[in-house]
Amino acid sequence: MALNGDDKDFFDWEPPTEAEMKVIQARKERQDKISKLMGGYLLKGYRMLGDCCDVCGTILLQDKQQKLYCVSCQELDSDVDKDNPALNAQAALSQVRERQLAAQAAAPPALPPAPAPELNEGPSTSQASVLVPQPRPEHCEGAAAGGRALLPLPAVPSPTTPAPTPALVPPRAPVSPQSPVIPPLLQEAEEAVLIKLRWATSQLQSSASLETSIQLCSLIASCANSLRSLKELSQ
Amino acid sequence: MPPVERLHLDHVVQTVCALESVVLRSFGPEGGQVLFTRDTGQAMLSRSGARILTALRLEHPLARMVVECVLKHSTVTGDGSKTFILLLASLLRMIHKMACKEPNVSHTYTSRQTAEASTARHLADKILAFALEELDDLIGMGVIPYGCCLSWEDFTAKKHLSGPSNNDCVQKLLTSFFHSRLGRSHCDFISKLTYELLTHWKFKRDQPSLSLEFVNDNLDALHTPVSGFPISCSRLIEGQVIHRDFATPCPQTEQKAVKAAVFSGYLQPKLLNAGQVLQLGCGEQWMEENSKNNRSIVQFSAWTERSLKCVFANLQSLGVSVILSAVKQSAAVLSLAAQAEMCVVECVSEDELSLFAQLSGAKPVSDCWMVEPEHVATLTFCRPILLGAHRYVHVAFNDSEERVTVKPCSLVICGLGEGQTEQYTCAFRDAIRMLLSTWEPMGMTATTASKRTLQSTKSTSSHVDQIPNVPPFQQSGLQPGYVIPAGGTFEFLLHHALLQNGTSCSASDDIVTSGLAVSQLLANALLIVPRQIYSHSPRHFLQAQARFQTIIQNHSHPFSLVYKQEHSSIFGESAFPLEEDKLTKHRFTEADVSAKLFMSDSGLESVSCKYQLLLAVLQCLSSILHVDTVLHTHTALHTQSRRLANTSWEGTDDETED
Repeated sequence: MALNGDDKDFFDWEPPTEAEMKVIQARKERQDKISKLMGGYLLKGYRMLGDCCDVCGTILLQDKQQKLYCVSCQELDSDVDKDNPALNAQAALSQVRERQLAAQAAAPPALPPAPAPELNEGPSTSQASVLVPQPRPEHCEGAAAGGRALLPLPAVPSPTTPAPTPALVPPRAPVSPQSPVIPPLLQEAEEAVLIKLRWATSQLQSSASLETSIQLCSLIASCANSLRSLKELSQ
Repeated sequence: MPPVERLHLDHVVQTVCALESVVLRSFGPEGGQVLFTRDTGQAMLSRSGARILTALRLEHPLARMVVECVLKHSTVTGDGSKTFILLLASLLRMIHKMACKEPNVSHTYTSRQTAEASTARHLADKILAFALEELDDLIGMGVIPYGCCLSWEDFTAKKHLSGPSNNDCVQKLLTSFFHSRLGRSHCDFISKLTYELLTHWKFKRDQPSLSLEFVNDNLDALHTPVSGFPISCSRLIEGQVIHRDFATPCPQTEQKAVKAAVFSGYLQPKLLNAGQVLQLGCGEQWMEENSKNNRSIVQFSAWTERSLKCVFANLQSLGVSVILSAVKQSAAVLSLAAQAEMCVVECVSEDELSLFAQLSGAKPVSDCWMVEPEHVATLTFCRPILLGAHRYVHVAFNDSEERVTVKPCSLVICGLGEGQTEQYTCAFRDAIRMLLSTWEPMGMTATTASKRTLQSTKSTSSHVDQIPNVPPFQQSGLQPGYVIPAGGTFEFLLHHALLQNGTSCSASDDIVTSGLAVSQLLANALLIVPRQIYSHSPRHFLQAQARFQTIIQNHSHPFSLVYKQEHSSIFGESAFPLEEDKLTKHRFTEADVSAKLFMSDSGLESVSCKYQLLLAVLQCLSSILHVDTVLHTHTALHTQSRRLANTSWEGTDDETED
C-alpha cells in the first residue's frame, strides 16, 4: 500500500520547493474561496448539481432561472482572466498597443521619428494616452510576444497615466495636430475600436454572468465614446 | 454528461467543504441564524443544522448522501448535525493533504488520482478501525475523569439538603442544549418546563431510562402545539389532551366521576362498501309471513339500528358517558348517543388511544356486542378545553395504586407563528432524544476491559501520585450519564489523549507508524470544533487550549478553573491554590463537583452523544471514500436524470481499467 510504500519510490519523491509551496498555498486559498462562495450561493437558493464545469472542474450550481453557474469561472480571477481584455484594463491597453505597434512597424520607417515629438506634447494635454511606442513590460504577459519585438524604440515618459485611469477608458486616440499623419492613425484607431466593439457585442449576447455583462456594456459605451471623438478629430 | 462518472478525491472534498461553509456561520453558541423564506411569503429563523441542510437544494449524489447520514444521526441523538459536517470536512481535508503527500508513482497505480483515492480510502478505514477498537477506552481514560456523572436516581428526588445537586446538572444540560438551538432568551424557561415534564413522568419502580423512552415514544400524544401566543405562555396541563373535539354536545357532569369506553371499530357495522356485494337473506319463517317485505335493504338497516339500541342500553347500564372512537361513527350512532346523553369523540389517533388505554387501564373494545366492565375507564373529568384556536378534549385520570408515582401531564407549547411553534416542538423532541442518548452506555466488551487494565498500569505510572483515588476504569467506563463542560472540552481532552496514545503506541508497538499517524490525524481534526466555537476571537481559542493543557498537566478539575477564569482577569494565575490541592486529592464525586458546577457558567454537554457523533462521522467518512463511480440513470417519471451513487469495492478493477 502506498503508506508503507516501496523503498524505491521514496527516492523519487522530494519535498516540494518553495515555489511549489506557494502554488499549493495559493491553490488551497482558492479552494477555500470557492467553498465559501458556493456555500453562500447554496444558502441563497441555488441548486448544487452533480456535474462539474468542463473548464475548471468545479461543481456547477444552477439558479432559479435554470441557468448554470460556475463559481470559479465566473467570479474568481482565474489564471487566464489576466489576459482577457473585457475584464482587465491592462490587458485591453496592451492589446491596443500591440495593434498600434504592428501598424507603426508596417508604416514607412520615416514616420516613427516624426510623430514621436508630437506624441510627446500630445499626451500632456490628454489624459489617457495610448500611443506609447514601448509597451510597459509589467502590463502584458499576453502581449509580450508582440511588444518585445519593438522594444528598441525610445521610451516615452508619459505612460504613468494608464495606471490611475479606471477600467476600459483606454481606446481613445490622442489629439495630434499633424493632418497628413493623422488619417491613417485615426483610421487605424477607428478600426481597432470597431473590432473591439464587435467583439464585445458578440460576447454580450452570449454572456451569462451579471458582472461580465456590466463590464461588456461599459466597454461598448467607451468604444462608442472613442469613435465619437475620433470622428470629431477627423473633421 | 457522461453516463458513468469517476469520482475524485477533490470533488469529495469540495462537496463537503461547500456544505461546511453553509453551516459554519450558524455553528456554536455565538452562531447566527438562517432566514428561510417561501414563495408564499412565510419567513422563519432557525439555527437547527438538520433544518438548514434539508432546505438546501442538492442534486449532487455525494452531498445528498452526506445530508442523509447527518439526518439519520440527528434522529438518534437529537443534536450535532453541524458538528458532524464540520468534523467530516476537517477529516477529509487532513486525509486529502496526507494522500497528496504520499509518493506519486507507485507501480500498481497508473494515475495519481487513483493512488490518492486508494490512500484516502485506506486511511479512512484505519481510522474507523482504530475508533471502533480504542476510542471508548481513550474516552474512559482521557475524558471521563474530568466529567461528572449524572445519576438517574437523583434525577427527580426531592431537593437534597446539601444544596445544589443533580437536578441542576440535568437542567444545565437542557439549558445549554436549548441555548444552542433556540437562542439565549427563552432557553431557561423551556428547559425548566421540560425538566418539570420529565419529573412528572418518572416511573419509580422501573428502569430509569424507560420513562425517558416512554416520553420519547408518546411525544406526539403528550404535547399540543398552539400558535399565536408568546413562548412564555407554554405550560403543563394535568392529564391528557385528546386532539379532537366532541362530536355530540357534552353534558355537564362535574360532580361525579366519568366513565369512558374506547372503541376501535364501528358501532354500526358498515356493510356496504364500494365494490362489495351484499346478499340479504332471512329466516324461512319470516319469509313466509312477510313475503313482500323480505330482502329489502331498508328492512336490514332498520334491523341494524335496533341492534344498536341494544348496544347503547348495555353501555348505559355500565354507566358509560364518554365514548372515544378511533373511526368516524355513523349518524345513527351519534343521534342515539345524544339521546342517551353520552358524548362521543371521533377519529382519535392510534397513539392517543393507546396512551389513554395505558394510563386508564381500560382495554379498547373490539366487539361492540361484548362490552365488559374491564373496558370501562374511570376518569376524574372529561371536558372541553380551548387551546389557541382549537377546542380539544381534556381528560384526567383517577389516581390508582399503579400510577401513584406518575402524574400524567401534557405540555402546551406556544409560539408566535406556526413555524416557530414547530421549531420549539422539534427542539423539545430533540432534547428528549439527547437525554436518552446521554444515558446510553458506551459499548464495551470483555477484550477492551482487559486491555484497559494493562493501560491503566501504564498511565498511572506516568501520572505519579496525582490521583491516588482514581476510580477503576471498568466502573467509570460502564456508567452512562457522564457530562463535561461545553465549549470544546471534549475535543481538547480527546486531542490530548489521542496524542498521548499515539506516542505510547509507537514506543511499544512494532507495527506501525501509521498507528501514530492515525491518532495524530484524528487529534488534529478534532480541534476544528473548538476553533470554530472561538472563531470570533482566535485569542480565546489559544487561551482555552493553554488552559486545558494546564488542567491536564495538573490533573485538577476543569470546573474549578472555569470558575476561576471568570473571576480572575489574568490568565493562568491561580488565585486559589489551596482549593486546587484539595481537588487533586479528592475523588471526583458529585458532591465535590456540584458546588463548583453550580457556579460555573459554561453549560454542559453529554459525553455519550459526542462519542456517538464521532463514530458516526468516521463511518460516514469511510463510506463516502469508498464511492468511486457514479452511474447516471434516467427514470421515466422525472424530466431530469436521477443519479445513483454506486458504492463499490473496486480497488483492483480501477487498476486494471486504468
